[in-house]
Amino acid sequence: MSKRNGRSWDPRLVVARRDLSSLSREKTIVLALLIQLFVAAFSSFLVVGLTSLYDPGSVEAGQIEIGVSGDQQDALFEAVQRQSGATPVGYEEPAGARAAFQRGEVDAVLTATSAPAAEGGGSVMAVSATVPDGSIRTTVVVVQVRQVLKTLERQERVERQGNLEHDPLPLPPEANASPYFGFTYTVLMPLLLFLPPFISGSVAVDSVTEEIERGTLELLRVAPISLVDVVDGKALGMILLAPAQAALWILLLAVNGTAVSNPLWTLTLVTAIAAIVVIVGVVLGLHLGRRRPAQLLYSVVTLVVFGGAVLLPEHPATTAAKLAIDSPTLTTYGHVLGYVFVAGVLYALTRRYVDRIEPESL
Amino acid sequence: MDGRRLLRIARWEVTKNAGGVDRRTVAVMMLAVVGMGLVATLAVGGAGAGLDSGIYRVGVDQSSPYYGPAADDSTFATVPPSQPGLYRGDQELLFVGTTLVDRSRTSKGYAAQSEFRDTVDGYNERRMADEDNATAAYPVSVDLQYVEQSGVEESLATGDGESTDGSGGSGSDGDDSGGGGGDGSADGSGSSGTGTSTTDQDAAGTLGGLGAGLTGGATSGTPADIQPPFPFESLVLAFLFVVPLNFVIQAYGSTMLSERLKRRGELLLVSPASRAEIIAGKTLPYFLGAVGVITAITLALRFSGIAPSGSHVAVLAVLPLAALFLAATFCGAMFARSFKELTFVTVTITVSLTSYAFVPAIFTQVTPIALISPLTIVVRDLQGQSISLLNFAFSTTPPTLTAAILFGLGAGLYREEDMFTQRAIPLKVLDSLSGRIFSKWSALKLSALLLPFVFVAELAAVAMLFALGEVSIPLVLLAVVIIEEVAKSLHLYAGFSSGRYSRSLRPALVVGALSGVGFFLAEKFVLIAQLADLQSVPTGEAAFIGSNVPEGIGPVLVAALLLAPLALHVVTASVSSLGARKGKRQYAVALLAAMAIHFAYNYAVVTTLV
Repeated sequence: MSKRNGRSWDPRLVVARRDLSSLSREKTIVLALLIQLFVAAFSSFLVVGLTSLYDPGSVEAGQIEIGVSGDQQDALFEAVQRQSGATPVGYEEPAGARAAFQRGEVDAVLTATSAPAAEGGGSVMAVSATVPDGSIRTTVVVVQVRQVLKTLERQERVERQGNLEHDPLPLPPEANASPYFGFTYTVLMPLLLFLPPFISGSVAVDSVTEEIERGTLELLRVAPISLVDVVDGKALGMILLAPAQAALWILLLAVNGTAVSNPLWTLTLVTAIAAIVVIVGVVLGLHLGRRRPAQLLYSVVTLVVFGGAVLLPEHPATTAAKLAIDSPTLTTYGHVLGYVFVAGVLYALTRRYVDRIEPESL
Repeated sequence: MDGRRLLRIARWEVTKNAGGVDRRTVAVMMLAVVGMGLVATLAVGGAGAGLDSGIYRVGVDQSSPYYGPAADDSTFATVPPSQPGLYRGDQELLFVGTTLVDRSRTSKGYAAQSEFRDTVDGYNERRMADEDNATAAYPVSVDLQYVEQSGVEESLATGDGESTDGSGGSGSDGDDSGGGGGDGSADGSGSSGTGTSTTDQDAAGTLGGLGAGLTGGATSGTPADIQPPFPFESLVLAFLFVVPLNFVIQAYGSTMLSERLKRRGELLLVSPASRAEIIAGKTLPYFLGAVGVITAITLALRFSGIAPSGSHVAVLAVLPLAALFLAATFCGAMFARSFKELTFVTVTITVSLTSYAFVPAIFTQVTPIALISPLTIVVRDLQGQSISLLNFAFSTTPPTLTAAILFGLGAGLYREEDMFTQRAIPLKVLDSLSGRIFSKWSALKLSALLLPFVFVAELAAVAMLFALGEVSIPLVLLAVVIIEEVAKSLHLYAGFSSGRYSRSLRPALVVGALSGVGFFLAEKFVLIAQLADLQSVPTGEAAFIGSNVPEGIGPVLVAALLLAPLALHVVTASVSSLGARKGKRQYAVALLAAMAIHFAYNYAVVTTLV
């Protein structure tokens, strides 16, 4: 920043550079990237961990054996066979199946008998299911049993179609899809894209309140630049930081095999959101003058606004997801342009507000 | 410590900082909170679309039976079916009637198809609910029972499922890091060799009752009614307890750091109040605030009927977590150079502590590892399950001790010469450690004091890694080795670099050995405390925490198992000490060497005993 040609630079750029260089000097930007990496890892872990509890395919011992007995066991046997992750084992007597379950030879026991329906005539198939309790595989087994019984239910419904007003629709074929695909685009992507703007806004609050609390804003006032320039510069530095980080994420994800479509639109969205959030932060910082209330209000207000965005036709997170997954509609583009417009209006208003501030009153 | 002085400082903190100017802020905050409530109600009321709305496009004609399901589910946007459109990437699925004519051959296409299958299934269920003929609509009735498998022991021994084995193994690793840390893997692996089945058995036993508590032991209804045991709702509620803590620490961090700006804190430092009184006085309002908010949340949940069984146990379980958040923020505020840096430090604290609290709690219904986090206690309390005193102590003691240590380390910097100087965070960390060094015995003391840290870090590592299956055992071993070696040697390095320890060979060896001994003693003290528990309570609960000493082994071997770790800790700490006395780079090299020795030892023990 002590460049000889600094004088010829736009003073706003000098302030922005000064703020950014103090960030890199404190190595806080490294910390910021680490945090985001951690958040990404953490949320991915959550999903992988949860899916491993749910999804039999992702567990190595995916094949479970289901003991089948009872007078309706043929239908049950067929239903288990259709299930890719389960193998049926027939037993003559329910007691035999239960003994095998106790010995750990089968993972679950299903006993199907025909029983009179509770109301009206006819009969229903009464299935009593026994699953292991309190084991790490309980969830997987229960999920499998659920699917088997739903298959059974579908078979039975088709057989009784004559008594139904609506025929049950056949299910489309199963697809071998990654269980994380939807999560990656609808949760992880918005998280990674919006975390940088929110951190930027928070740092903008710090940057302004710190100058006021330390009394160094007076020193800046001695320099031949106006308060508007100082605020502009501080905001500019923080706003630019967000799309830079987002671009890094997009690149990293692409290397990892998760393609992000419409990168330019996505970055425009991030920049616009960052601008809005940073302007909010700067105004709060100037208005309140101290970090504690400013920072508190900043986090509450951004939370409310971001949550309140649910009322828009499309939440910003959905906009980001649709852009990244390549399903944008006109509404999506309209929202991005809307954010750019709002950012521009807020910027103009803030300039007028800062212009009217008496620097001595800070 | 003078109670009146402490209270006066606390009162100042409240009146000076929260009164006056901030009344306007409080008003805006209240408005914002009300707004948030409104937004939440609107969102729940279905005003907004889901996050995944319109991410897949399905080409389906209005006449197709699939048009209904596709139009009902906001995840899908319906477009007129067109083959060129599919090639252009404007639609993922193409249906004619109920036949899947074509699908985009991308991972997006596969995901869309899988998702659409679920959508059709849900649509069927909704239509069946409207049917008059209930017997034809729901031809299958299910009665689901959770029964403990007594024969599960054999299936474990025969390696029935790798995932079961892996989690069993890392589960007992959890025991040993709870009970004895790294060398504990000696004892711990003993338990996975001879005791896995009993551990798992008993664990299953204790959890068995809980699972039944959640699901009522049995459920009956239609197949669609079956829900896998997963405390999703309670987890969301538990998250509600952690969120306010983040706001509290933000305010707390600001106020602590602003003491360091313009030498403001000097006024209090020169007053007759002691350091401890100042810190306690300034912390008390925030701690009470956190307690108040948590109590209010619990009461609100209780009386609104959302979680009618929430009780004082939930509040008590969050207290150590609140203390931990505050303590970490206090240290952060003492280390940070500026508000900007503090923001990043605060976010780091938020993220890491939230995951420490949250990740283990996910497995509440599944494995005893969940007890690592106090949030598990909260979840169980919200579900109306009873919590034994031992479980409570196991969950809350490590965070409480860690909070105390963090306050202690931060307090070491709460003095004129440190508060008003600007140094990089790593140097401040070293300063806070070297502030506690007075003689060579400090090495022993510091190693022992840092033990709660080691526990919390190792437990968190276990919770994070155990879901990975069989890879988790070496990874956990690695994490344990890194955490323990750093804990044993970092304060030695701080001592050398600040000149508190002499850099010559013999003193370096002495402090290294003392550090190892200190670590060993503290670790064994914890272990012995748990052995005592083992005898006094039914095995069911104790098995998880205290099954560290293998059964059927003579006293000589037990002694050897206890003393071998002593030698290990002394050797590795001395190795790092020898490097630390020379400088930064040598310290790094020596630390790596120590870790390698430690890992080799642990690995050898695990492979021979399993």
